[in-house]
Amino acid sequence: MAKKQVPIREIAWYRSGDKGDICNVGLMAKGEKQYEALKREVTPELIKACYKDWLKGSVTIYNMDNLQAIEIVMLGALGGGATKTLRVDQTGKAMCVGLSRMMIEVDESELG
Amino acid sequence: MKKVRVGAGASGWPDFKDGALDVAENGDIDYISFDHLAELTMAIMQNQYAKNPERGYIPEVIPLMRSLLPIWKRKDKHFRMCSNGGGANPAVCADKVIELAAQLDIGAIKVGVITGDTLPLTKIDELEAKGWKFTNMDTGEDNLKDYRDRLLAAYVYIGADEIIQAYEQDANLVIGGRLSDNSLYIGNFMHPLGWKFEDEYIDRIGAGICVGHLLECSSWSAGTCSNLWEEISFPKGNPGFPIAEMYENGDCIVTKTDTSGGLVKSLTLKEHLVYEVHDPSNYIMPDGICDLTQIKLEDIGPNKVKVSKWGDKSRGKPRPENLKLCLAYNDGFISEEITVISGPKVFKQADKALDFVKKRLDFLGLKPREMLWSLVGWDSLSGPAAPPRPSEDNEPPELGIRVAFKCDTKEEAQQCRTECGHLCWGSLGVGAGFTNPPAIRPVFALYPTLIPREEVPLKLEIKEVK
Repeated sequence: MAKKQVPIREIAWYRSGDKGDICNVGLMAKGEKQYEALKREVTPELIKACYKDWLKGSVTIYNMDNLQAIEIVMLGALGGGATKTLRVDQTGKAMCVGLSRMMIEVDESELG
Repeated sequence: MKKVRVGAGASGWPDFKDGALDVAENGDIDYISFDHLAELTMAIMQNQYAKNPERGYIPEVIPLMRSLLPIWKRKDKHFRMCSNGGGANPAVCADKVIELAAQLDIGAIKVGVITGDTLPLTKIDELEAKGWKFTNMDTGEDNLKDYRDRLLAAYVYIGADEIIQAYEQDANLVIGGRLSDNSLYIGNFMHPLGWKFEDEYIDRIGAGICVGHLLECSSWSAGTCSNLWEEISFPKGNPGFPIAEMYENGDCIVTKTDTSGGLVKSLTLKEHLVYEVHDPSNYIMPDGICDLTQIKLEDIGPNKVKVSKWGDKSRGKPRPENLKLCLAYNDGFISEEITVISGPKVFKQADKALDFVKKRLDFLGLKPREMLWSLVGWDSLSGPAAPPRPSEDNEPPELGIRVAFKCDTKEEAQQCRTECGHLCWGSLGVGAGFTNPPAIRPVFALYPTLIPREEVPLKLEIKEVK
């Protein structure tokens, strides 16, 4: 099967939020095959490459097989946290959008 | 099977008041809960209370109750209400609600008031002297001493024990302070269904914590802020708030009224189950720990989702020994300025303006602790994760620029904003929009830590009007 580069949002829904200076992004696969692609392609390296110097700390990824979702937890990701940050998006609600644009490689069969 | 219907009434401040009234009027509910507190609200409330002992609660509680209490009376006073809108002053908040009930001719009402979640700062010193370490939960550091002289407030995220006790004493309404968002709902499940903080109920309390999480942000799990926004409608402009029909075994149906807009679907709940959760196997709340990887969502009808058990493992784990304590401290001032650049070549102009601002800060000897430069309409939300800039031919006709400064003093924050933020139009091609900038704001920062449960002297008082 042919490989293809697609943005994450092609295969997943997304929502993000905050707790202090920790930002979490939940990516919800649009189906079973998409969940496999998400688990394979979304790595701490990809996430660090996405947020660059807006992400100061470590990244942990948890799988949620029951929801076909992955939970990404990023430390030091909100410029100090809601009350201290200079950013417009004080609570990281839109942080997921930047990640949703990141390109990943999937098999064409993982798109349908 | 025994069941109870619990509605969401508020999340944060402000929220859609009509959402709560719709749930009370049309939701056939037994309980409704109101969460009015964001992470920092308690620090603001405590600050107000320190200046005026008649303040320090969420003012919104009063207009909300003015509309809600008549519905409650009309519904034969059937449903019970639970709120953390007491903020730093639950006792006065309760008195004001009781006064209001008298004005509205509501008749008898019993109000449970929970206090003790706000701690005097001397309590922190006392525990440190006893050898307790206030480790920062986010950073893992033991450096509270660096902030001790800047501490403003200390408050503990408390659980449902006193809510349940209040219900056992027939309270119609419970008002507290930093009751955790989740506990406002757990009490509503545990009391009527007879769940106790004992081993045999741990799975069900875990399930309850999951459903509490689904309800605590009100409309957020019922179709606001959703990936499905294009298919979700609000025909009358009134988002629906979720209602949970919780069964004795911990399984639940989440739904909403037909009279409201929005959508309850497994995806809208899933969006919320991944929201503001860290390790999903250990979603830690004062009343227990939920394993969110053991939850199953199933669409069973329009606006009806069954929330049940996914695997063989327990949905819950025993409640933690320690409670979350938030310490708020002063951390300088933030000022910001927003203006709009008129094209052509908006990006080139923006870069020139940034260079101008940096040089002007140097020229005037201003040294903000931090500065953030954003292009509104391009990278203000995503920063370095924004897409590459378009070619000059494909640029937008205008672009916002926003600069924000953090300084130790209000004066310096003001100077940075006026001298460098406001006057940076001088470097642009066309004079841009001049608006009033947002007010300079003090920074209340948070130091999240833990405190032993038994060190928090909680108190329940019942106020009654016969």
